[in-house]
Amino acid sequence: MSAHRSKTLVVAARRVHGIACVVCLSFSPLLAEESPTAADTVRFEGYPNAPTVNVVPRKDELFFYPCDQCHESMEPNPEIRELDTMHDSEIEHGRGRLWCLSCHDFENRNYLRTFLNELVDLDEAHVVCGGCHANRHKDWAYGVHGKRVADWQGDRTQYNCTHCHNAHSPAISPRAPKEPPPVRAGLKLERGKNHDAHSDNGTEQK
Amino acid sequence: MAKDSRSKETQNKFDMARRNFLRGIGVGAAVSMAQPAWGGQTFGDAFDDFFQKHYKKMTADEMQETLLRIERKAKIRYDADISCSNTPPQENVVFGYAINISRCQGYRDCVQACVEENNLGRDSQVQYIRVLQMDQGDSNLEHSDHYYDPEEVPVAGKYYLPVQCMQCDDPPCVKACPVEATWMEPDGIVVVDYDWCIGCRYCMTACPYWARHFNWTEPEIPTDEINPDTHYLGNRPRPRGVVEKCHFCIQRTRKGRQPACMEACPTGARIFGNLLDPDSEIRYVLENKQVFRLKEDLGTEPKFWYFSD
Amino acid sequence: MAILRFILDGLREMFRGSRNYWLWLMVLTVVVAYGATRYAQQVMNGLVVTGMSDQVSWGFYIANFAFLVGIAAAAVLLVIPAYIFHRKDIKEVVLVGEGMAVAAVTMAILFVVVDLGRPDRLWHMIPFIGRFNWPMSLLAWDVLVLSGYLVLNLAIPFYLLYYRYRGKEANFRLYFPFVVLAMFWAISIHTVTAFLFSANPARPFWHTSLLGPRFIASAFASGPALIIITLQVIHKVTQYNVSKSVIDTLALIMAIAMQINLFFVGAELFTDFYNEGAHAASIHYLFLGLDGFNSLQPWIWFALTLNVIAVVILMINPLRTNTLYLNIACVLAFVGIWIEKGMGLVVPGFVPTPLGEIFEYVPTSVELSVAAGIWAFGILIFTLLAKAVIAIERGELRYPEKVSPYSL
Repeated sequence: MSAHRSKTLVVAARRVHGIACVVCLSFSPLLAEESPTAADTVRFEGYPNAPTVNVVPRKDELFFYPCDQCHESMEPNPEIRELDTMHDSEIEHGRGRLWCLSCHDFENRNYLRTFLNELVDLDEAHVVCGGCHANRHKDWAYGVHGKRVADWQGDRTQYNCTHCHNAHSPAISPRAPKEPPPVRAGLKLERGKNHDAHSDNGTEQK
Repeated sequence: MAKDSRSKETQNKFDMARRNFLRGIGVGAAVSMAQPAWGGQTFGDAFDDFFQKHYKKMTADEMQETLLRIERKAKIRYDADISCSNTPPQENVVFGYAINISRCQGYRDCVQACVEENNLGRDSQVQYIRVLQMDQGDSNLEHSDHYYDPEEVPVAGKYYLPVQCMQCDDPPCVKACPVEATWMEPDGIVVVDYDWCIGCRYCMTACPYWARHFNWTEPEIPTDEINPDTHYLGNRPRPRGVVEKCHFCIQRTRKGRQPACMEACPTGARIFGNLLDPDSEIRYVLENKQVFRLKEDLGTEPKFWYFSD
Repeated sequence: MAILRFILDGLREMFRGSRNYWLWLMVLTVVVAYGATRYAQQVMNGLVVTGMSDQVSWGFYIANFAFLVGIAAAAVLLVIPAYIFHRKDIKEVVLVGEGMAVAAVTMAILFVVVDLGRPDRLWHMIPFIGRFNWPMSLLAWDVLVLSGYLVLNLAIPFYLLYYRYRGKEANFRLYFPFVVLAMFWAISIHTVTAFLFSANPARPFWHTSLLGPRFIASAFASGPALIIITLQVIHKVTQYNVSKSVIDTLALIMAIAMQINLFFVGAELFTDFYNEGAHAASIHYLFLGLDGFNSLQPWIWFALTLNVIAVVILMINPLRTNTLYLNIACVLAFVGIWIEKGMGLVVPGFVPTPLGEIFEYVPTSVELSVAAGIWAFGILIFTLLAKAVIAIERGELRYPEKVSPYSL
């Protein structure tokens, strides 16, 4: 099948997710070669003294995973360019220093990559993040960054970086706070002259 | 006393009559003890309530009785079926807490989670956690805003400082209490025996962190929102007229679970664990981060640290 | 038994008198009853009926408590001249002073009780039956010293009056040690009460070593003010003779104490305002307002003004010895110190809170009514005690020594 035709199918698939990909696949002649397995991925061993951490799996939460569903039928293109895709392609990460293939493996889209071109499973995405954010990664490995789930005691289970940070736009967005504290029943709150009655948007002078 | 001139037969009749009379009173007393009176409580329960001993003085049986009585009271007061336990502290555990103020965004999710977990009165205005909005570069608490309510947090140029009971190692509140209703448990939590507190509020005066709160009215909790897993020293329903405060979610943490505030925090700003465990996160924070405590110079030795990174 | 007769005669004396006397008792009783009903309201609904909050958790009740402990301690100002300096004129009125101490301590204790969230749990404080955190808790100390002071000021006069009643000489060697004890105890009750506040580093406004001395100085100014006025009233409405020399001595003590008190206030103001830091926030709030909040500001300046006028009068000899001017000074000083040491001491300790919040406090009508009821109760107690004391001191009440079938 010509490259042009597979591209048309992808365009069509863009309009109808999921099922279209399956349809596309069945027409695809680009059968994957031997796919890498877990054994081919790397686990970070840089903190041997860090306690064992179970990482909450991430792949179940990823809508488009496995990426091969579509990418198997697409010719990988290493040229750094602006993309318009059906999933996150706007990279608000690194201030122009990164693009997709900085973190995603070129040939095996089900995996991420390290600087040494090792494969990283998406459930262990922290290995990739740690490549640049080493201090944060160390904090995370020792449990002082990110979030521990379940108990404070016993086996540690922590979220992956990507649970909170969208890798393509990692900054945490502001959101509305919960209500201010109440005052005792029967009493009224009086705000001082240095404070706004309801909101504090940081514009008043001190 | 003059010798009774009655015959033995008559005397026996009198004895029987007296015995039956006393028995009747006894039964009547027992029955009346069991009748709901005293604001719905049985007389027996009200009596036991009044003469309830200090937590440390109760025998195991008395404690069991007390826990059951608390469960009964909750049923009457809130129409809720709760269980009240007295989980003891774990060995070799002393709790410590740290908050990463670079991560805190001021959501107040912790405040809300605490209110729900700990059966805080929805209208008695007790909240164990208060989040302060501070100006960037300013650590003067007097410039803080407790009632911030912007469209979105974090507000530019501000940072957020959640404050709750510091579980001090040298607590001024414990010294202040005239009836020893508050003390530090072996696992480091400063607890209150709500059934012993006389409500003098001297401990509130003594606390440098404004961590202790008073039930000016009866706490109101909607039946469907009551948390039924309670601890005698923790989140069991409290009466009016007593002091209460953060107890590191004693009902959860003694069983290995995270405190509700830590569980609720979406940014993972809260770090909690065993100070005696060298591999714990809290120990890592204390050994590797630039931590500080509030009002360090007062010598209260809080087990609650802050750091930023 | 003679003691029983003594008590009964005393009680009978308390409840007999002129129409005006009964009118006075009735008025006081009405106020007490009104206060009691408002207190019942507080017990029914909880302390939410007061103006206190988590931010300002002590208010009008504790303010009155602190002031009244000072009044109680000031009874010692009659005891010392009477027994140590052998002032016969003062010895004649010393028991009236002790009656005032009893009334003041009773009022102080009542003010603490009505402030409690769970007065039904008072038994928790009894040693061995409950758990009494002594010697660690300053409040436990205060309960101990106030109870002891009450007992001393009931026991010593009881002993002396009983012997007077029997027409006998009391055993000096027996009661004098207790009198000395009472002198030191008087200082201790007010020092302990001061320590109750000053022991809290959490409250910079109170955390000063000067608080104990301030309390004593203001007590020795406000106490004599009340005693001077009371003795003059007694001199007027009863047959009891109060020498002018007593009044003059008390006025002199008061003058010195007022000067010391004002010096202390000045020292606080200088120390806090010269290099003003965060610890001065409370005093700033009190005298100058803070962040737009200034509800106490007019009160403290008013109190300061009253105190200054009073001390000026007292410092000018011809004015101090003039009855009218002296009485004016006494009223001004009493009211001024009541404001300064009451609300002007307790409330600013809570503003701002340890977390920097400014939340103001205004007493509600429940608090004012209950307080009025307690003051009326104290005045009632004093009236009754003074009635009996005066009758015995004047020799009107005597134990009939010979019990014969023909005696009346």
